[in-house]
Amino acid sequence: MKAILAAAIVVYVSLVVATAEVREHDVCWTAPQNAAAKPNPLANRPDAAAGGAKLFQDRCAMCHGADARGTEDAPDLSQPDVQAQTDGALFWKISTGNSRSGMPTFSFLPELQRWQLVLHLRRR
Amino acid sequence: MSSLRIGSLLIALALVNAAAARAQDGPFFVTYSHYLEEPGNLEVALSNTSGMPRGDRAAYSAPWLELEYGVKGWWTTEFYLEGVSARGDSSGFSGWRWENRFRPFKSEHRINPVIYVEYESINEASRIQKEIVGAGPLSFEPIADLRREHMHEIETKLILSSAISGWNVSENFIVEKNLTANEGLEFGYSVGVSRSLGGLASGTSCRFCRENLSAGVELFGGLGTSQEYTLNETRHYLAPVVAWRVSDRSTLKASTGFGLTDASDHYLLRIGWSYELPLRGRR
Repeated sequence: MKAILAAAIVVYVSLVVATAEVREHDVCWTAPQNAAAKPNPLANRPDAAAGGAKLFQDRCAMCHGADARGTEDAPDLSQPDVQAQTDGALFWKISTGNSRSGMPTFSFLPELQRWQLVLHLRRR
Repeated sequence: MSSLRIGSLLIALALVNAAAARAQDGPFFVTYSHYLEEPGNLEVALSNTSGMPRGDRAAYSAPWLELEYGVKGWWTTEFYLEGVSARGDSSGFSGWRWENRFRPFKSEHRINPVIYVEYESINEASRIQKEIVGAGPLSFEPIADLRREHMHEIETKLILSSAISGWNVSENFIVEKNLTANEGLEFGYSVGVSRSLGGLASGTSCRFCRENLSAGVELFGGLGTSQEYTLNETRHYLAPVVAWRVSDRSTLKASTGFGLTDASDHYLLRIGWSYELPLRGRR
């Protein structure tokens, strides 16, 4: 039993080391049409952006950087390929995440808070 | 000093030190959802289960330390160390566990499956009750005697979890096999619903506002064994749960479980604190 356990630990540590690379960009990650077409219900509530900024610092800045300009872990959100996406597409990506590229799922946040994040991203 | 007091002291010290932070843990203690640890994050959690048994059996306390690491977006691994202490009896180490969760799908769906595999090297004194399987009440022999009965177990779970209009709904189906005894397979379940209590986030920093609170309820218990398909003598609990994001990276949660059958304890009181440490090249 001890030998099996030791072997399992060796395999496990090897796997952790082998897979601990920087997150990769997933070019196939696109929002479905109906999700991308959703308008931001807070689009006319610029006052809600301050809450979005706070949420961004709490939830996103660790990977995307405090200024959203990206880190080695996650992309620059001020880039044209991000900003060209619709509010609905950004909302969908925040909500569903992408386990292959390491983007967490934020569907546990209330819907309005996810829209606040989109509002904040538009100000980058 | 009882382990309950030590646990409380550690939690209080940890709260004092929790200055910066971020955590997205739901309020559950038993039920797992599809939210895995973020890649490169290490979460350190201290928790305690205090049981109030029926009859004249002694109350007990079972603290555990949990180290959870996000290896990949689809893979989270955890290591547990656990102990036990009973009133009027002794205290001691009750074992360790190594858990892995795998999320097969890239994005979120209506129902999100997660595969859970855990190896447990514990003894019969284990009372943290992170899951309940099989049938029969807890054994209340002296802790020292129970600690001599060692077990190697494999536990698997199918976790199904959904995000529905701000609610999380999760169902866990558990199968456990004791590798050191011919007990067949033991079955269990856990279901839970929870939600954040906040709406729009305020622009100012506030720790005591609704957006930092989430609440829910979980129901869990045993479903017999492959050698005896019966619900007789199974333990079941209904437990309201609440979590508070103390700071961006730390969460405090608490739960009171109400025993629903004669085999169950009267109450299971749980408290837990977790803190997230970014390890991999984060700012």
